[in-house]
Amino acid sequence: MKYKISIFFIIGLTLYLTDIGSNSYDKKEIYISDQEIISLVNAWKSQVGRNPNDDEIARIINNLVEEEILYREALKLGLDKEDRIIKRRLAQKISFLKQESNPSPPSNEDLINYYNENHDKYFIDSSYTFSHYFFSSENNSKKRSSKAYKDLLNNISINSDPFFLGKSFVDINQRKIKSEFGRDFALNFKDVELDKWIGPIESPFGHHIIYVTNYIEGYIPDISNVLKQVEVDFLQSQRDVAIENYLNQIRSEYKIYINPNLQI
Amino acid sequence: MKLLQNIILIIIGIYVLTLGLVYVDVYDSRPIISLFKNMQSDSSLEVVDFSVDKKDSSKTKPKPNKNRNPYYGDLHVHTKYSFDAYVFGVTASPDDAYRYAKGEGVNHPLGYEMKLREPLDFYSVTDHGFYMGMIQAYADTSTDISQNNFAEPFHNLNRLDNLTVESAGERSNIFSSVLGATIIKPYPDWHPKLLKAYFTRNTQGALRSFDYDIHKSAWADVARSANEHNDPGHFTTFIGYEYTTSTDIEGGNLHRNVIFNSSKASIRPWTRIDSINPEDLWTWQDKLREKGVDTISIPHNSNGSNGQMFEMETFKGNALNTEYAKKRMRNEPIVEITQVKGTSDTHPLLSPDDEWADFEIMDVRVGSRPPTYSKPSGSYVREAYLNGLTLEFTRQGNPYKFGLIGSTDTHVVAASLDESNYWSKIGLLDGDPENRGSVPLKEENVERLEEYMQAFNQPISTVSLEQGEYANTGFTQWGASGLAAVWAEENTRESIFNAFRRKETFATTGTRIAVRFFGGYDLSSIDLNSESIVSEAYQKGVTMGSDLLNDENKNPEFLVWAQRDKNGAPLQRIQIIKGWIDANSGRPKEKVFDVACSDGLQPDSFTNRCPDNGARVNINDCSITSNVGSSELKTIWKDPEFVPSDKTFYYVRVLENPTCRWSTWDAIKAGYKPREGLHETIQERAWSSPIWYIPEQSDIEVIPLGGTIQLRNID
Repeated sequence: MKYKISIFFIIGLTLYLTDIGSNSYDKKEIYISDQEIISLVNAWKSQVGRNPNDDEIARIINNLVEEEILYREALKLGLDKEDRIIKRRLAQKISFLKQESNPSPPSNEDLINYYNENHDKYFIDSSYTFSHYFFSSENNSKKRSSKAYKDLLNNISINSDPFFLGKSFVDINQRKIKSEFGRDFALNFKDVELDKWIGPIESPFGHHIIYVTNYIEGYIPDISNVLKQVEVDFLQSQRDVAIENYLNQIRSEYKIYINPNLQI
Repeated sequence: MKLLQNIILIIIGIYVLTLGLVYVDVYDSRPIISLFKNMQSDSSLEVVDFSVDKKDSSKTKPKPNKNRNPYYGDLHVHTKYSFDAYVFGVTASPDDAYRYAKGEGVNHPLGYEMKLREPLDFYSVTDHGFYMGMIQAYADTSTDISQNNFAEPFHNLNRLDNLTVESAGERSNIFSSVLGATIIKPYPDWHPKLLKAYFTRNTQGALRSFDYDIHKSAWADVARSANEHNDPGHFTTFIGYEYTTSTDIEGGNLHRNVIFNSSKASIRPWTRIDSINPEDLWTWQDKLREKGVDTISIPHNSNGSNGQMFEMETFKGNALNTEYAKKRMRNEPIVEITQVKGTSDTHPLLSPDDEWADFEIMDVRVGSRPPTYSKPSGSYVREAYLNGLTLEFTRQGNPYKFGLIGSTDTHVVAASLDESNYWSKIGLLDGDPENRGSVPLKEENVERLEEYMQAFNQPISTVSLEQGEYANTGFTQWGASGLAAVWAEENTRESIFNAFRRKETFATTGTRIAVRFFGGYDLSSIDLNSESIVSEAYQKGVTMGSDLLNDENKNPEFLVWAQRDKNGAPLQRIQIIKGWIDANSGRPKEKVFDVACSDGLQPDSFTNRCPDNGARVNINDCSITSNVGSSELKTIWKDPEFVPSDKTFYYVRVLENPTCRWSTWDAIKAGYKPREGLHETIQERAWSSPIWYIPEQSDIEVIPLGGTIQLRNID
């Protein structure tokens, strides 16, 4: 009795294995589901604003069939095998899936480590308090400013122009100086001497003679002051790390050969 | 058993009765039912403090400047939380947006890096309030809501392998299905969710495709991100969102950005699902203000409103009155005059005598499919100012007395401000020159575009020109613009928000021109070469955004001072645009005066124009004539045609020397000539908010036609 049942079981298994073994695409049978047709017809309708007529439906279905046939023939010919675009898409697909995994909340230790490794990110720029004489490029600034500099040193009163953004700047940081006066101008603040007339310095607006009275050196703040930001940055970095780790883990399983003699 | 049966019957009875009453209330407005209103709570008026505990008090904050500094920012930025941005392939978050504004690079959906030449001073993420966060939830197949049929087209839409130009057709299709409201189906009438929506005044809760928790959490994330990135003294953020409404039938764009003044905001954005009538938005803002939360709403793309943004009647078609004017001005002190989708200063048909009127005109309605002409009248700022004066003339109040800002409306989190490095704004749909229509299409792309344009309901997908087939996507009318600029004491939320309220603002087309503008009766006593120009001008006059009251019929004087963008082209000229109502004829008039010219030139006293300064652009490589143009221009100007009894406004337009337009840059980089029919160059510019001259109250009585309607008097 038991033996007979086993026979049916084995026959069933054989049938099943032959079925999944044979590529169903080889069967040259194409099934188009109702749903597929309906969704195409709906898309057609939403574009054109009316239902497709019989001819148009036939064309929609025909296109679908032709696409499927060409797809299968392409697979048969192995066209998917060496296509860089298809490879890249599949690669991107898996990295997207890996990126989705949610990182766990960070421990204090995580945050401290992250902060120690990345503390440059939290650097607070040097800031300066200064005042300046401005000579507009609209009015012969080069010549006037060099003369003014000499006059200043000799305590002769000078004739300068008003600067659009004002005369005095209090606790303005390096970055802001750069954005308001330009990069070249800002470079002059590096190791600047205090309480001394310096210039003339050129900017996109003319020439300046500056007098710096105070300077706060840039520094890296204590972690307690930037904890929240560290946490935000850490979580962001974890998401990037997830895909990198995955890659590194898999990469070791591959041997990579690249032609060292390739000329580009 | 019988008891149980009775209880069930009673419950069902009460339920049906409630449904019935709600039905009558919704479809009827008999006063007896309004008793019911007292039982409703208003979910949109619940205030939440989204502030994050962040200590960085150790940082030095620059001292406030009583003469005020110019700060530049963008108040119109979309991220993945916007239903359309997500469909356009954007996966970048509000955090990414703020990082970009602070100077970091972020990636475009097509993979290239976007980075600012200079960081901005302030930024506000303003995702579409309507369906905020929902599309992303549809796409994420792990959410419950994504399991519904309507969510299927969105599944994994922005997986990396689908971030391609080829997916544009599918994307525009999905975009239209959201806009076409096919996914907005309510629950059946008997459904308890419907009752809940009614009792909490939260209409969206009645929609099958809506999940309130997801929506709230997206909004909370927008607010959290803003608060986290706010850095008083250095970088300011605002909690904000876009109220995306339009008129019903013809699709006149009435979009507005709502900006909050503090870390507090409503628990959810108030959206077009609550009402498509902007006047209801203002009512909500008024109520919120009573609860201590101040907001402003900023209209944009009036150019694509088909004349609806600055209409001469209310949303429902009633006459405007002083109450309307006050309510609008209380809530909408400023307007976005320029952005990627064109500039709304004026139109050549409205200002035929303004040689600079044909500037970045986008002449179709926003989002129209197929593209449909937008009527210029009612769509442009200058005409609105004039109409405002007319409304004042007829004692209906002036609802169009707003200040000006620019912004970008980027949908890829990154403001596109630079003509030479342009990515437009809607991600995969316009992120490359071929789709934008600035270079000819490669053969294989012609067919793809056909499919894509079908989705836009645009049968003509390409146009055949000398150099080949070009995309007919309409993006050629878009451009790299603009910036919001304010004069504020310091870079903090409070100080900048107050500047919005004062209208001490100006707009630029992306360049960082800065402009001061004062009006008064004794400004000519100020020495333009003294250090105290600005403090004296504040003392002796009023600045942009203010009223200048008649002073014994004296002729007003205006002080203008503009500084170039150090990375842009030098300045060419400063103009003052004057608009007035001729008291004799009762007609609106406008005139453009050049008031300061570069290179020491003087405006001609007859034509009011500067002579040509000789600045040219080499179209082959985009180089510009060197050594012409000015780094700054300043002058004191007196209106030569001033009439003391005319209601008048004055605003400043500053023009740079011409430079290449983005479409020319695109073409040159790809080795083509600029596409025919497009402007090859542009003149980047800035506009100040106006100063309104207020004449003595006239004693002319206004008698409406028919004489039967009693207009309210101005108090």
